[in-house]
Order: sequence, then structure tokens, then C-alpha cells
Amino acid sequence: MSEHDRDPTPDAETETRNDEPLLEIEGLRTTFGTDSGTLVAVDGIDVTVRAGETVCLVGESGSGKTVAVESITRLVQSPPGRIEGTVRFKGQDLLSADEATIRSIRGHEIAHVFQNPQNALNHCYTVGWQLVEAIRVHEDVPEAAARARAIDLLDRVGIANASSRFDDYPHEFSGGQKQRIMIAMALVGDPDLLVADEPTTALDVTVQAQILDLFEELKTEFDMAVLFVTHDLGVVAEIADRIVVLYAGKVMERGTVLDIFERPGHPYTRALLECLPGRGNEISGIGGSLPEPTAPPDGCRFAPRCPHAIDACHRDGQPLETEIEPGHSVSCVFYREGRDSSVVSPEGPTGVSSDDADEEARSTDD
Amino acid sequence: MTERGGPAGSGEPLLSVRDLEKHYPIEEGFLSRRVGTTRAVDGISFEIYPGETLGLVGESGCGKSTAARSIVRLDEPTGGEVIFNGDGRGRAERNDDGTHPNDVTRFDRAELKAFRRDVQMIFQDPASSFDPRMTVGSAVAELLSVHGMTDGRRRRGIVENLLERVGLSATDYDRYPHEFSGGQKQRVALARALVLNPDLVIADEPVSALDMSVQAEVLSLIEELQATFGLSLLFISHDMSVIERICDRVAVMYLGELVEVGPVEEIFAEPQHPYTEALLSSVPTPDPRAERERIELSGAVPDPADPPDGCRFHTRCHRVIQPEGIDLEQPVWRRLLDFRELVVSGAIDIESLRDRAATDAAPEEGDPVAEGAVSVAERIRDEFDLPRRLSDPTAERALGDAIGELLEGDTEAAAERLASVIVTPCETTVPGWTDHGNGHRSSCLRHRPEGRPIAPDPATDDR
Repeated sequence: MSEHDRDPTPDAETETRNDEPLLEIEGLRTTFGTDSGTLVAVDGIDVTVRAGETVCLVGESGSGKTVAVESITRLVQSPPGRIEGTVRFKGQDLLSADEATIRSIRGHEIAHVFQNPQNALNHCYTVGWQLVEAIRVHEDVPEAAARARAIDLLDRVGIANASSRFDDYPHEFSGGQKQRIMIAMALVGDPDLLVADEPTTALDVTVQAQILDLFEELKTEFDMAVLFVTHDLGVVAEIADRIVVLYAGKVMERGTVLDIFERPGHPYTRALLECLPGRGNEISGIGGSLPEPTAPPDGCRFAPRCPHAIDACHRDGQPLETEIEPGHSVSCVFYREGRDSSVVSPEGPTGVSSDDADEEARSTDD
Repeated sequence: MTERGGPAGSGEPLLSVRDLEKHYPIEEGFLSRRVGTTRAVDGISFEIYPGETLGLVGESGCGKSTAARSIVRLDEPTGGEVIFNGDGRGRAERNDDGTHPNDVTRFDRAELKAFRRDVQMIFQDPASSFDPRMTVGSAVAELLSVHGMTDGRRRRGIVENLLERVGLSATDYDRYPHEFSGGQKQRVALARALVLNPDLVIADEPVSALDMSVQAEVLSLIEELQATFGLSLLFISHDMSVIERICDRVAVMYLGELVEVGPVEEIFAEPQHPYTEALLSSVPTPDPRAERERIELSGAVPDPADPPDGCRFHTRCHRVIQPEGIDLEQPVWRRLLDFRELVVSGAIDIESLRDRAATDAAPEEGDPVAEGAVSVAERIRDEFDLPRRLSDPTAERALGDAIGELLEGDTEAAAERLASVIVTPCETTVPGWTDHGNGHRSSCLRHRPEGRPIAPDPATDDR
């Protein structure tokens, strides 16, 4: 489905969608005070989401994806959390807004779907009751109308025979159905932005496929933007319009789905893609592990694990993002002026990866 | 049993599972009366040859983990045989009474202990498979002392060496589990599985809890160690891409039964069973340009306490066979069967459908009463994605009459009518195995229409 509305040329895409962004995150930094010092979970990231598009935040566990999206509507408890930067939604700054404003936006214009539907539903109440409650929190409607709306929503998210399942309890539904119910609940406020945090990770592949299709359908039907958090690049390839790659709280690379999958620039993105089964190369993993979030390295966060790292990578903070083609930027010193980016991407910005070229690059680097 | 060569040629399998069954009783009340049986594993058979990796794949709840646990008798199997030919037990003949001397399900305590030295398990969650108060070194070394190595220094030497082999360092011996990341813990779990030099390792979703990059590392390590130690591997996973990467052969499991077995390349290139096909089609492809042709399975996995008759997959199968005399488009046929199921189980709430049809019609038509009768029937068809008119006259007549009876409130008549006309051979015939050559077999009625009619009395199934 997405193949049809996805425009193959990135230029055309930026042109047609170059209007006011729906969500603008700038310099978002979320820290937690812990006994062993300040833990920097998200360290100054910028993300924009335009109306109607799907942006994927990709990264390993511990990269700060969840904290980043939970900071948007201030779901991160503070203290111990501390959120800095700006998050503008339709021009309004959410981080400085008062609690009442946030409450009117959260769950209404910005809705969340979480990883584990088991924990998100109350098992003491029927699914219908919970949906009706959610509807009546947002709108002052009579019970009967709320009930009709709830049944309609259940029907829209693909719960078969919705009217007779209305009075069933959560345990009477399967995991996939529960996630559908959570999505129905997110749709209650007719959101402009749906934030989905690993919504398919706890599900079987067959069910995951159904839920991903449902997201595509609903996106068009409700004309929503989706901010999708996942570590699964297979899922990303299927649903994303644009991708933001996170590592240890910093943005490593951003671009359209084709930029990232076909012309990855950052060594981390390249390594991540090489971990995918079925991409024709021997997989060995990245080696090493994420830096301590209480004591991140001085330079590029990925430098300690990067096969190409040079002295310049270990100082002066995370390199500024360099735009290597329109809408595609990379945070790596090799793309800064005066350096040779072919060291990290031997085939240049447009070629197709070949193992020989990779080998060559490594030996010259040594 | 003999129709397959396996990758190791015509040699003897290391492990041969025959009709393995694990049924759990469902008990009720104070006296624990037995009211039913959950057929978690219901007669599966496969072989694992020396040095090969067999993948066991299926959705959650299909019984893969129970099968693994039954093989090593962590759960006592309720039927079938597990014949283990490792540890110098090969080439054994059956006893006179038909039992096999290498049958694990009949092993006594001493034999079982020896068997559990030769077969090791790795579990999904590395965090919960270690004692948090025990150093990882002593957790690994414990196995050696259990199996009779009394020399502490030698134990330590072996374990330190092994920790290095799995990519950790000898000094990690004295560290505690919480000091390791998930991937590292899984490496320790591998060391623990290998310390007794087993013939077979059963890995139950060993990489499912790990990140993609760490997953790749652990899989590489497993492959490397398998080659070095000459291991056989039973690799359980729900993830087809992992299976493709690491396995030689695959067995696909659905609701306690195997539906397809074969070499990994063939299964991925030409899946024969519709379930395998659906599983493969739902794996996300990491290629944004890929054309997706996804097969959507209808409904949910049935309850293993009450599995469907005939082919167990028929309630969700997209290729479910149409009977003689009915010719519909396949998706419509599938939805018609789903509709029949709902009517028969009494899950259709006509009143609320009528209400909704009335509310839907009211604002547009202005006269809900006159429109009502027509639109409710249509409303029902729309609700269940059935066309307003089926292309097949026989099916159309049955459906039309049944909807009429539903509207009159005669649910039983409607159920009876649908159940007599809308039938599929898949629910009345248990499919037999079809051999596609090269050890690739599948169990689907489309390949072998004769099959075996379902047993008239389920009690005769109990052996």
C-alpha cells in the first residue's frame, strides 16, 4: 500500500510536503538524576514530523528512542527526569505549556500506542467500558453515542463482530486484538499525530503484519502523521517515509527511507544494515556495546565501536550534521569539509555496496 | 521414517522423535475432575542428523517450546518416543516388545542423567536463566561438579578456556550476571551449554530477546561453535529470517502438529503448505522497494484444547478447499466459511446489527422503517465483507436463506442450513503427508486429496 503513495524521487517528496511541520523537536535533551551521576538519555536531538507522514525513530535498545517520544507529551516523570529543549506541536511549545494544555493535547491530538497491550488495558473492566470512558473523557457525549462510536472504532481497527465483543474483558482477546483495541483507543481523539512505541514487537510475525497493514490503512483514513519507534529495520522498510537513526541519545543520520536503505552514510547505519539477515553479506554484528549513558564519550558517540574512527572522532562532541543530499544528513566527521567521505562509504553517495570496496576502504584506513 | 536422507547422507539420525505427544489435563473443581485435554504437542515426528541444525518454527502457542521440553523430559511426554543415538548408543535394535533401548521417555534415572549431559538447552531470556547470587563462572562450573569433576582447579581452567571461546575473557569468571549485557549473558549461556561437550544443543528462541546487532553476533558465534564442536542443533524460533540464516532444515509447527518439513532453501523458495506460505509472507523485508504480497490469515489460533477437525489449519487457511459444486473466488469462499463459523457458534448479534443498520440509514434516507428490512440483510453482508450477491448460485441461495432465517430470529435453522451447504473437505479429512522429494514433505489436502477421514469417535485417538 505504502508503495503507491511513496514517491520514489526524494526531491518531489520534499517539494510536495514542504509546508509547516506538525511536530518540531529541537535540541531535545532528557536527563535523569541518578546515584551515579546524571544519565543523559536523549542528548539534543532534532526531529520534525510533517502532517500525514510516517517518521521512524530507529536504534538499538538503550539508544533513547522511547525516552525521546515520551518527552514529547511530557510522559517522562519529572523529577527524576528533566526535559530541556523545545517541542513545538502546531506552533505551540509543549515543554513550557501548563499541565491543563498538555492534558488537552495528550491522548487527543497526540495519541500514544505502547509496546505491551497487556499492561495498557485494565483487566477488571470490559473493553467497551474502557473505550467509552476514553471517549467521554475527551468529549461530552451521552453514553449511547459513546457506545456507538466505540463499536464503530473497534470495527475500524478490524475487531470482527465488534458489537458482540463490546462487553468482553481484555483477557478474552488475543495479543494482536488487544493491540488493535489500544489503537482504537488512541483514535478516540481523532489525533493528528500517533506516537507508536514498538507497537508490534511483542506480537507474532503474522499478527505484526496485520497490525502494520492496519497502521497504513488508518493513516490514510484518519489523515494522521505517525511517529514510529522501532529497532526492527524490516518493519521500518515497510512503513517509513523518513527515518531518524539514533545512537546513545544522538542522531547519527536522517533521510528518506530510500536514502537510508540504499545510500546509508553513517558507519553506524551501515553496520546496522549489515546486521540484517538476507542482505547478502556475512553477518558478524557490530562488536562492543553502547557507551555508559552517565559517561558518554567526548567525540562521536559511535567512535569507540567504529571501524573507521580517527583521532578527530574522539574529540569536540558529536559532529554537526552534514547534508549530503537534500533531506539526507549524516553526523560524521568524514562528511565535514576537507575530509574524504569515501573512507566510510566507498561506493560514494549513489552506488551499491560491494564487499570488495568495503575491504579496500578498511585497509586504506589502517 | 526412511524416505528422507538428510544432509548427513543415509546415516543414522542423532535424535529421532516419533509421534511425540504432550497433553495437559484440564481439571476443574475441588476433586480435580478431568474435563478436557490441552493437546500442546500432538504427535510430531522429526529427525536430527549429526552436525545439522533443524529449525522448529511456528507462532507463539503452537507448542514448540513444549516439544523441546518434552524431548529432554523437563516435562514428561504423554506419548511417543524420543530415540537418542548419541553417546555410543548407535545401531541399537528394537527390543522384542517393540520398545527401543534408546528411547529417552523410558530412560531410568542414571540413563537420564547421562542423556542430559549429552543434550543441553539454551533459553530465551538469559536474565532469568542465571542465579543472580552466583558468579557466572561457578554457574558454568556447577555442571562439571554435578557430573563428577571434583577437581576445582581443573573445573576453573575448563570454564575460563570456554569463556574465552565464546568471546568473553577468563577474568569474567568471578563476575555476577547483572554485570553483563543481554548478549554477553547469552554468551555465558552458550558456554554453560557447551561445558559438558554435548552432542545436541536445544536452543529455545536464543536470540529473540536481543537487539538486531547483538543477534547477529550471537548467531555467528553459534555457527562458529557448532562447526568447532561438531554439534547438532535444534533451533526453535518464531523468526523466519533467523531460521533462514542458521538452519539446514526446517520443521513448521501449527497447533501441536507439524505441517511441513524440508531443507531450508526449498521451504523458503517453494513453501508447499499454506501456513508456511503465510508465515513467510508476513516477515518484513528490509527493502523499501520490495513489493509486498502479504497473505492475511483470518481469525486467531484456535484453542489447543479443542483443535479443529480435519486439517487444523482450515479455520484460517487462505487456500481452504471448496466442495464439489461450489465455485467462488477464493477470498469470498474464505469469508463465507468465517461467516458460517460465527453463525454456528451463535456469535452474531442480530439486534445490534439491526440497530446499527437503522442508525446508518436514518440520516440519509429519512425513513428508516421502510429501508430497514432490506438494508439489514445488506448490512450483514457488508459487515462480514460478503458481496451483495455471490457468483455461485448454490452458495448464494444458502446464504440468502440463512440471512433471512437469522433476521426472523431462527438462528438454529440458519446455522443448520449453512453447515450443510457451506462445507469444505479440509474439515472432514485429516491430510496425509506428501513427499515433494529431497526430504521436503508437507501435510496438505491439496496435494493429496484422499487423506484420512476424521475419526468418528475422538476417544479412539488416545493411545
